[in-house]
Amino acid sequence: MVDKVLRHAGPDRLIHWLIAASVLVLLATGFLPVLGVDFDWVAIHWWTGFVLAAAVLAHLLRVAIAGKRGPILPGSRDVSDALAVARKTFRNAAPAPPRPGKYSVSQKLIHLAFSIVVLAAIATGGMMMVNVDTPWWDRNPYWISDGAWGIVYVVHGFSALFLITLVMAHVYFALRPEKALYLRAMIGGHITRSEYMQQHDPGRWRLKP
Amino acid sequence: MEILRLSRDVYGREVLEGASWDLIPVFFGLGLAVIVVHLIWRRLAVPRGQAE
Repeated sequence: MVDKVLRHAGPDRLIHWLIAASVLVLLATGFLPVLGVDFDWVAIHWWTGFVLAAAVLAHLLRVAIAGKRGPILPGSRDVSDALAVARKTFRNAAPAPPRPGKYSVSQKLIHLAFSIVVLAAIATGGMMMVNVDTPWWDRNPYWISDGAWGIVYVVHGFSALFLITLVMAHVYFALRPEKALYLRAMIGGHITRSEYMQQHDPGRWRLKP
Repeated sequence: MEILRLSRDVYGREVLEGASWDLIPVFFGLGLAVIVVHLIWRRLAVPRGQAE
């Protein structure tokens, strides 16, 4: 029996790290000028936005080609799992929560939060590109009304602000010692079979033969 | 603390500019709060053998 269990295939890891790097660059180029660090950030910001959009598109295509909804999307069973985790969190005598499938409730929730925020940032960032001079087109600030532009900028700004919180939480939990197996899997792709058996319900995360 | 940035156009009408950058420390603090609360919870829960 092979001792290693594949958790993240190579292309998925590449996409993850591409998204991570581009989000960090986008946050830096978006917020450092606001905080007084003056540099020519606009071109870096929108080029990196293209990289992020391409990586997210690649991720969505991989999910679509796989032809299944994906084990990371929250489902009805996650509600009872979340309640069991909450009971155990607040009452030590409560029974241990059921082992998750491939992803825990908290992993599903943070993925959902990232999905909403990043997609909102990409959609509004894409619209804002109309308002930027590029090698391919001249800016057109009259494409939509001032009021509509305001809403676009508000959504983009709040997406970026939420990303600060989400990135901090994600990095913190990724670096937790008890979560080291998941960071290792996102780097090398695998967890051990004993980690799979201890941390996951094989009935809910069925391995391909 | 402002939640939105507002300005006035050439006709004096109020125009929405975007989210207020006063909120940067708020969202940073929220991230810090998540980390601190979890650290405290782990500190209290782990000696009792509580699983996460």
